[in-house]
Amino acid sequence: MPAPQQRRLIFAHIDEPGYTRDLACYRKHGGYEVMKRAFARPPAELIDEVKKSGLRGRGGAGFSCGLKWTLVDRKSGKPIYLIVNADESEPGTFKDRYILHQDPHQLLEGMMITCWANNVQQAYIYIRGEMPHGARILETAIAEARAANLCGPNILGTNYSCEIYVHRGAGAYICGEETGLIESLEGKRPYPRIKPPYFPAVLGLYQCPTIVNNVETLCHVKHIADMGGDAYAQIGTPNNTGTRLLCVSGHVRRPGYYEFEVGKITMGQLLNEVCGGPLPGRTFKAVIPGGSSAKVLRFGEKFKIKQKDGSVVELGVEDLPMDFDTLAAAGTMGGSGGVIVMDDSTDMVAALANINAFYAHESCGQCTPCREGSLWMKKISSRMVHGEARPEDGELIRTVADQIAGRTICAFGEACSWPTQSFVAKFGEEFKGYASAPKSTGSMPLV
Amino acid sequence: MLQVTINGQSHAFAEGLTINEALHSLGTEVPTLCHDDRLEPYGSCRLCSVEVTGLGGLVTACNTQLREGMEILTHSPAVQGVRKTLLGLLAKNYPAEAAAQFPDKQFHRYLREYGVPAGGSRTAPPPAVPFMQDASHPYIHVDMAQCVTCYRCVRICEEVQGQFVWKAWHRGDQTRILPVRGTTLLDGGCVSCGACVDTCPSGALEDITVLARGLPTEWTKTICSYCGTGCEVNVGTRNGAITTIRPSLDGPSNHGHACVKGRYSFDYVYAKDRITSPMIRRDGSWQKVGWPEVNQFIADRLLETAKQHGPDSIGLLSSARGTNEENYVAQKFARVVLGTNNIDCCARVCHSPTAAAMKMTLGTGAATNTLDDIELAKTILVCGANPTDGHPVTGARLKQAARKGAHLIIVDPRHIELCDYATLHLQLHAGTNVVLFNALGAAILDEGLADEEFIRTRLTEFAEYRDFIREFLPEKVASVCGVPAGKIREAARLYATAKPSLSVHGLGMTEHIQGTEGIMALVNLALLTGNIGKPGTGINPLRGQNNVQGAPHMGCEPKLLAGYVPLTENRPRFEAAWRVPIPTHPGLNMIDMMDAAAAGKLKILWSIGYDIVMTNPNMHATRRAMEQLDLVIVQDLFLNETAKEFGDVFLPAASSFEKDGTFMNGERRLQRVRRAALPQGEARSDWEIVCDLAKLMGRGEHFAYESAEQIWDEVRSLWPEGAGISYARMDKLGGLQWPCFDENDPGTTVMHATEFTHGKTTPLRRIDYVAPPVLLSKEFPFLLTTGRNLYQYNAATQTARTPNDRLHATDCLQLAPVDARRLGLREGELVRLRSEQGSADLPVQLSDHVKPGEVYTTFHSTRVFLNQITTSHRDRYTKTPEYKVTAVRIEKLAPVAAK
Ligand SMILES: Cc1cc2nc3c(=O)[nH]c(=O)nc-3n(C[C@H](O)[C@H](O)[C@H](O)COP(=O)(O)O)c2cc1C
Ligand code: SF4
Ligand code: SF4
Ligand code: SF4
Ligand code: FES
Repeated sequence: MPAPQQRRLIFAHIDEPGYTRDLACYRKHGGYEVMKRAFARPPAELIDEVKKSGLRGRGGAGFSCGLKWTLVDRKSGKPIYLIVNADESEPGTFKDRYILHQDPHQLLEGMMITCWANNVQQAYIYIRGEMPHGARILETAIAEARAANLCGPNILGTNYSCEIYVHRGAGAYICGEETGLIESLEGKRPYPRIKPPYFPAVLGLYQCPTIVNNVETLCHVKHIADMGGDAYAQIGTPNNTGTRLLCVSGHVRRPGYYEFEVGKITMGQLLNEVCGGPLPGRTFKAVIPGGSSAKVLRFGEKFKIKQKDGSVVELGVEDLPMDFDTLAAAGTMGGSGGVIVMDDSTDMVAALANINAFYAHESCGQCTPCREGSLWMKKISSRMVHGEARPEDGELIRTVADQIAGRTICAFGEACSWPTQSFVAKFGEEFKGYASAPKSTGSMPLV
Repeated sequence: MLQVTINGQSHAFAEGLTINEALHSLGTEVPTLCHDDRLEPYGSCRLCSVEVTGLGGLVTACNTQLREGMEILTHSPAVQGVRKTLLGLLAKNYPAEAAAQFPDKQFHRYLREYGVPAGGSRTAPPPAVPFMQDASHPYIHVDMAQCVTCYRCVRICEEVQGQFVWKAWHRGDQTRILPVRGTTLLDGGCVSCGACVDTCPSGALEDITVLARGLPTEWTKTICSYCGTGCEVNVGTRNGAITTIRPSLDGPSNHGHACVKGRYSFDYVYAKDRITSPMIRRDGSWQKVGWPEVNQFIADRLLETAKQHGPDSIGLLSSARGTNEENYVAQKFARVVLGTNNIDCCARVCHSPTAAAMKMTLGTGAATNTLDDIELAKTILVCGANPTDGHPVTGARLKQAARKGAHLIIVDPRHIELCDYATLHLQLHAGTNVVLFNALGAAILDEGLADEEFIRTRLTEFAEYRDFIREFLPEKVASVCGVPAGKIREAARLYATAKPSLSVHGLGMTEHIQGTEGIMALVNLALLTGNIGKPGTGINPLRGQNNVQGAPHMGCEPKLLAGYVPLTENRPRFEAAWRVPIPTHPGLNMIDMMDAAAAGKLKILWSIGYDIVMTNPNMHATRRAMEQLDLVIVQDLFLNETAKEFGDVFLPAASSFEKDGTFMNGERRLQRVRRAALPQGEARSDWEIVCDLAKLMGRGEHFAYESAEQIWDEVRSLWPEGAGISYARMDKLGGLQWPCFDENDPGTTVMHATEFTHGKTTPLRRIDYVAPPVLLSKEFPFLLTTGRNLYQYNAATQTARTPNDRLHATDCLQLAPVDARRLGLREGELVRLRSEQGSADLPVQLSDHVKPGEVYTTFHSTRVFLNQITTSHRDRYTKTPEYKVTAVRIEKLAPVAAK
């Protein structure tokens, strides 16, 4: 089956010649018209549209956006805040930055609709520290929008006011975790909060109810407000609606970012047709489908996937539709949409050592299993690639990983142990090989 | 009630508990490395993980709420495995020597219980990011190689003390707990409260005394002997000597917190210059004598003088440092053995005005509410007190209240630490309290913010007050008190509307010629706004010394008897109980005694635990008076300044660690003092000393006490409001607040709820302003006020004999930078401070915390002897000296050769 065409909703104008990121250009393309219409509707109606749309978060967990908004505590009498998670630091993920750099007003429009729908009067964009250029672009875009009365006081002549602030991170992956982000925004160390009781929807920023959404998620909100929730839900596949951005990196001929209807394209179509297949003379060995935290898939693996009608079909990696539910059923996740491809030249132990070094460096250090365990996993995998493995290392590293996942304050615990768990489970012979005859064979840079 | 199954057994629990709290109530322990009851649950060590069937996996017990129907396994193989792995991760590089040295430290105990060996060593090479080591603090040793990164120190310094000294630096496994700035604890702004040491589960933070002397083998629960907060502490002893003191977790006044004084400043007990045998000065030199000899000597002289000059030629001064029992015995001695009412105590120099003013206005001269009300109040007025130095545990609580949203209004001429947390600082001119409080009252009425209902039902003379107070409208008096009218009005609005509002005050209120009247003006505010008789309100003096509420209350007052009742009306009751007549005329108070001595009328002065020379104002006048005395008996731990200069007889007293009894704290709470160590040498409890003398002087049958408890039982038989407070109940309940009329009475946390002690209503007093007599002149152009520092305590008799001296070595003169520039003075330069009374030399400290034209210093150091320059002015009602206002000039000293 030939791969479907891209369906560009969010990326409609990305890389389009002549399209600029200023307000005039955005308006020429119909910008802020959706917002104007939305402001004429009661907020509850908009929340309903988002619920009907079936939109799932694009930041990593794929949590229902409509449900998230419903959980917000609206009775406390406290202000409700919106935070845009623009921390995009998951290895292999590079989609939000194109929105920020090339089409910032799309995000602002999505935000303003969200703010109106949820009666938010202060919204923050928390942007990754390594994107200073993006931060400047956002500042400019906000200033333009404010001057045009599209945000700020008495928007569009109504008595509704809403300010947007940009806050720059300082270079820590954990600031992408929503409660770590909130702490950081409050000016503290980004130590994730314990849940319960600190669910952002109830006790978020400054202990007030808070919505945290990914950049891409909020852009989808604009399109939902435009076409209506029902129409949006027609895009993609049931329970996996809309389009999503996919970032492909690694050993393919045409790495890059693409936008497809969710679930309408398979992994094989994406890698072989859209991305041009493996590099000359190579074959695919493994793929991580949703950012480095997702579990790795090994080409040649078979998955028993339950269908809607209850039947079970057996699928290979290439046959997996790129949607939230199927990837979860295959034991991994769609995550942040970062697809990392590895071919037969890859030394899986070295690859894992690289990933583990990242997590050991980024663990915030708050809870014992992650702080101590991420370091230990790094130490074991790096001593393997340095030829200093001990016979028990293959097993030991997996035991450590098993004691972290599910035992930590935040999901970083899973994020850092899933790679080890899946690499060792699926490429066990390479790890055994290292443990007995240590030597690196691969092309991954050593850490 | 929730029905929950724990390890197969069904239990019922109240709602709102965490799993850990529920387990705790059953006596089931799970390891909790990052948890401390004083702190918010944190959930970071994960050792407390338990299995909850149905929740799909493990949850942390410390922060997970108990829910109906939970099935919890606390020690299943799965959780045991997790704990073992976690401990293994923590112990990988943990120094084995540490675990061996103190095997019962919380973390070491877990390692032992889970069979996990410590894999590191103290001699291992340091990691890339080194661990902090700091041995520069006099009390706290830091070795972060032992840190298990539980963040308890970081959190307790923030959540309890409010100091923010510790901070986590770097991330991941390179996370290091380090001071927020600099490289040592003191650089980081540590106030040495010891809370972080107390909570540290591993010994990374440890008391230097514990490292040097070993862990205690016995613990004694008692009450701190410093300020009037009355913190309950546990004194740890080893081989009979004190090795450490820890705050008691269930201390009703301190809830597990202490300050540097209560926690660490105990080594004065073992000071080299402590006197532990009786002495008589003969031919100018002190000679050690035995107790029988000294007693006989004193008895003879007392009897002889009484016979020759009458009993009123003898004066007795008792001390707030003694227990209630000792104070009771001292005043009984004066009245029964000597036959005089010449008995006073050191409350005279601090809160006598408070007691007098509150007695007159409310009927009881003591705090209306409780320290726990601090957490209930929305607005807190802090008047003439610097709690973070003077009452540090209360100060920490005030900070936390402000952090949680309470409004602080600071009334003080100086910028104190709490100003950083305050909504408003009313920086008045020293000595204008009455003006400011009247202005607040005027503003409340002017803006219609008074509590009409309360005025109608509980107050009289309202119309008169209203007419009188108009003269004090903020706009009219702003220039007199130096606070802008707008600020006064803002404060009035907060106090009157953001209720409940509570007030705490200190000696900045009392030590003035209008001390008593200032308190009455303050009480008026509470009355006008109905901020009295309810939780979170009231007038709450921060009593300076541990038992300064108790000492006068026991009758160490020339006009009052035990229970703070007037001599005139209550004499018959006491005569009946004591079976001896009591002199009818009131005695001399301490200030009168000095005057009488100067006039040659007082012949003998016996001072128990009170350093007259160092403490009384205007030292030159004091000296002239003391010189006239025939005999000066000093009963103390040390040869204090009074003993050194004027003492004829010295009686060695036991410290508060060495005796039994009770203290009464500033919130009317009676708490038990328990002997933790035997007295040094021949030292004895004050009450034993006094009772022996009474026996020798033929009054033995009135002093036949065998224990402090027997004395106490006599006190409560004579004091109806304390009748219900028995030793047994105090032991069981950890302290009781009077009024407490019988043994079923839970005591009183909030007074005056439906009526005042002296009746249903009370009049609003009209307090006119009397300017302090010291008016600045060309000759004396600066206004001096005085106060206390965190590390020293009053005359520093105790604290200067501890390593605290390294933390606050001397008194400094705080001076505004503009004044310093004008006078050509530099930081640290020695100057002579001169007043009409005398002079004192001390170094200059430039500070924004004083206003130009005003200067400030502490008064602890014998090297500086500040009371050489304070005045002889006194409160118009109680004669409490006006320490707080003196006109001075600053003289540059000729440069001396570099030391
Ligand atoms: C360790 C960690 C890092 C994360 N980093 C990001 C990130 O960079 N960007 C992001 O949008 N979400 C990130 N998330 C997910 C957020 O916590 C949160 O779920 C998301 O922002 C919610 O937005 P959504 O519902 O729109 O997806 C991260 C989560 C974890 C546990
Ligand atoms: S799991 Fe890791 S990143 Fe998350 S709170 Fe714990 S230590 Fe920090
Ligand atoms: S001793 Fe007290 S002030 Fe000092 S660091 Fe520890 S908790 Fe903070
Ligand atoms: S120093 Fe002690 S209390 Fe502080 S984090 Fe380390 S182990 Fe915990
Ligand atoms: S005690 Fe519960 S996580 Fe540390």
